[in-house]
Amino acid sequence: MNLQTVNVNVSRVPFFRFLNFEVQSLDSLHVAAEMTFESRHIGNPVMEHYHGGIIASFMEATAAIAVHPDFAEVPAKPINLTVDYLRPAVKGSLYARANVTRKGKRIASVSVISWQTAPEKPIAEGLYHFLLV
Amino acid sequence: MSDITQKKMEQIAQMWNARGKGLITHMGLEIEEVSIEGVRVRMPFNPDFCVDRDQTLLHGGILTALLDSVFGLANFVAIEGVSTMATLDLRVDYLRPAHSRADVIVRAHCFRQTRHIAFDSGSIWFDGHENEEIARGSASFALTRGDTSLFEAMTRGKAS
Repeated sequence: MNLQTVNVNVSRVPFFRFLNFEVQSLDSLHVAAEMTFESRHIGNPVMEHYHGGIIASFMEATAAIAVHPDFAEVPAKPINLTVDYLRPAVKGSLYARANVTRKGKRIASVSVISWQTAPEKPIAEGLYHFLLV
Repeated sequence: MSDITQKKMEQIAQMWNARGKGLITHMGLEIEEVSIEGVRVRMPFNPDFCVDRDQTLLHGGILTALLDSVFGLANFVAIEGVSTMATLDLRVDYLRPAHSRADVIVRAHCFRQTRHIAFDSGSIWFDGHENEEIARGSASFALTRGDTSLFEAMTRGKAS
């Protein structure tokens, strides 16, 4: 699956347009993406921080694409997630990198990290499970 | 609702409205019930939150965002003198595909608070299908207590 096709498919999903992100790189086990800040992403209007749910949604989207790059044909079925919030995310781009830790016959486990200034200063870390059948 | 003072109710409404440009406004959330036992909030159907081209299947992420938002409200209702709160961690189980164009209902409550931490849980279903829960979540929050209340910061933020 090439990058351009994936991004065309991303632009066809209403909620992915709402998040407004672009896949920057992908291979069989990884996806890296960048999300552009929008005022509709704000959770704390005083500090203008990202809403935690938007961060979790963006990480879930990158995890899902890592599991199923052909998500337009075969949508990933999310089972559950846990997210650890480490720092507030401020106005500006947010980056995420998803790593498929294990992809079995029925279940996939994906870990995702998100950051703004550097991956060594993560904004949030998440673990996502998907059903593959 | 008798266990919540009129003043607190007014503060809740004002704070909710002060979130002018953010996600909470975009979700169009309507508070249906508020008490010490918990809160109940309605999110109208919105095609922006769907993943399919037919726009009938909600993305799980919006349900996660909804739980996080409503936990914040539940904390504000249950805890006195909070100056800031930050989500520490969040867990969500997606129990069924969120396949419907019905409004979404969420009920959440803060089941334990200490000086520094609050613990919340909640569940989500489509309006009219309370026995078919689509998601359930729990979260913990780091609280800062102080003179500047969250309410004051919020409403000042709107004025500026």
